[in-house]
Amino acid sequence: MKGRWIVERAMLGIASSALVFAGGAAMAQNKTAPAGTAVTDAFSGAMQDRSARSPDAALFVEKCAMCHRQLGMGTIILARRMDPAVAMLEKREDLTIDFVTQAARTGIGNMPRIQRGEVSDAQMKKIAHYLAKGNK
Amino acid sequence: MTPAGISQSDLKLALKAFGDAIGADNVFASEADQLSYSDHFSPDESRHMPSAAVAPATAEEVRAIVRLANKYKIPLWPISRGKNFGYGGAAPVLKGSVVLDLTRMKKIEVDVESGTVLVEPGVGFFDLYDYLRANDIPLWLSVPGNAWGSVAGNALDRGVGYTPYGDHASRICGLEVVLPDGDIVRTGMGAMAGAPTWQLYKPGFGPSWDTMFCQSNFGIVTKLGMWLMHEPESVLGYDFEFDKIDDLGWAIDTLMPLRRDGIIQQSPSFGNWLRSAAVMTTRSQWTDDPGPLKESVISAIRKKFNIGWWSVQVRLYGPLDVTEATLKVLNNAFNGKPVMAMKPARWVKGDAPEGSPFSGVPITFPLANANWYGGRGGHTGYSPVLPTRGDLAMDQFRRTYALYQKYGFDYHASFAMGERSLTNVNQLLFDRDDADMMQRLDKFFRELVVDAKAKGYGEYRTHIEYMDVVAETYDFNDHALRRLNERVKDALDPNGVIAPGKSGIWPANRRGERS
Repeated sequence: MKGRWIVERAMLGIASSALVFAGGAAMAQNKTAPAGTAVTDAFSGAMQDRSARSPDAALFVEKCAMCHRQLGMGTIILARRMDPAVAMLEKREDLTIDFVTQAARTGIGNMPRIQRGEVSDAQMKKIAHYLAKGNK
Repeated sequence: MTPAGISQSDLKLALKAFGDAIGADNVFASEADQLSYSDHFSPDESRHMPSAAVAPATAEEVRAIVRLANKYKIPLWPISRGKNFGYGGAAPVLKGSVVLDLTRMKKIEVDVESGTVLVEPGVGFFDLYDYLRANDIPLWLSVPGNAWGSVAGNALDRGVGYTPYGDHASRICGLEVVLPDGDIVRTGMGAMAGAPTWQLYKPGFGPSWDTMFCQSNFGIVTKLGMWLMHEPESVLGYDFEFDKIDDLGWAIDTLMPLRRDGIIQQSPSFGNWLRSAAVMTTRSQWTDDPGPLKESVISAIRKKFNIGWWSVQVRLYGPLDVTEATLKVLNNAFNGKPVMAMKPARWVKGDAPEGSPFSGVPITFPLANANWYGGRGGHTGYSPVLPTRGDLAMDQFRRTYALYQKYGFDYHASFAMGERSLTNVNQLLFDRDDADMMQRLDKFFRELVVDAKAKGYGEYRTHIEYMDVVAETYDFNDHALRRLNERVKDALDPNGVIAPGKSGIWPANRRGERS
């Protein structure tokens, strides 16, 4: 076995062992039942933050967050390729409008191409602007 | 590129007419657009590449497009959100078809008291989840393992989830459908204008048509009614781990009567160790040996994740008095049997949110398993339906496992328990940039279908590349069902404009395209 288990650190506060079912996997979190029995809630904590502080951020949440916030497929795979602390796109400081647009439209790695029916050119511009944080 | 039999100039005229009807900025016909609507898991995206896509925003716009498609004889491939990647994504069976992208149709109407929702095809699981939370509605979704897709599209394709509402097609109640000639119909009680019972009573009066639009190409669903579960008082259960391969058989036989009799109302799904490893890690973290995973690697994976050869999660829903009593029944069923581990799960109203797909929380991380082999990964499903019997499941496991070994793939399977059936969902993971692997995958899949057919088992769902292959196995009376489907198809869609080849159903003018 080789490699680091960086993906676990990308799970952002969700602890320990993995549970899996029906083509999926889960993180487990231990907590104590009223009776004092150790209880495991499969997937507990899989619910990602869906809040947004601006209309552009809301667009990002609607179109991208499912993969690019906590426990998203994109976040998990990006955490294998870079510092897990910046695996979520909103944590990045190095994104540019052109890079975001191109990655989304042409696909990159495991990411599929995002079609114009799903995200219009005008919406893409707003999302890219939001992620680029003023970078050109 | 055009669909076979359609000239470039006719396609151009049709696209122009589509643009005039719904706005030219909702017609996407560049090379980049064609690629974006192709099957991005395919080693050869050109095989199922569309010539363009059009994205109407209302049922009236869908009707306009369909009428024009008839005029120009253009085959349309309707998608809701096109996120069913393991089965072809947005891509059509017939190359050159024009994708009818319904992603922009996103209306949601909820009846909280009745526990129903009416969704348009573009509504994704995250959209509906956000809507329920934003409006503080105590209804739970049932979500599939990868929840970026459409609520309506998933139900129409007979997708499944983890709660008692997990058989999504069975929870459909009332459809609005644009027929292949542009007519529009509402099924069930929706056939009566203004009926308040459209989402409440499924059959309506006379024949019921809802199931006719599941996995079919008989119409375009523009609204879908669905029942949602009211938040229960409690969710109790266990995560079971089983140490030995052979434990699968008796464990299924133990759960089967409880599932059949409705004691367990959701669908427990047995899965093997790769389900954890393929999501959490990549193959190269475990071994550099390209051959089938050795016993030592399997042991290391199991040790790392502290799991059995098989795992299954069982959940009980309802008032705490009921779930606690039912939990005793579940305990008794496994009493004295060699279970490796039973980890209790318990959520009671007032606790922090249960926070998992067992309470309808949408997730996408399971598809990180597409990265198992590295490269630009992907997956497809092989999912034969079996009787719910442990001995037959074990036999299925042994035959399928041997074929995984023969073709050099890592075993990734689950056995999901319906009320009377067992669906053996296999995730065939691959690296699409590995040409040798992709060739093996094609042969592997075809042999799997033949292997299941020899036992009388058929797939419940399949990839666009294999729809004819699977339809071919449904062969009673020299494929009488296919003849029936195609008689219906020809009656409703004489110009063959809606999704030619979907589920192996070809219109008269394109029957020669059958592979």
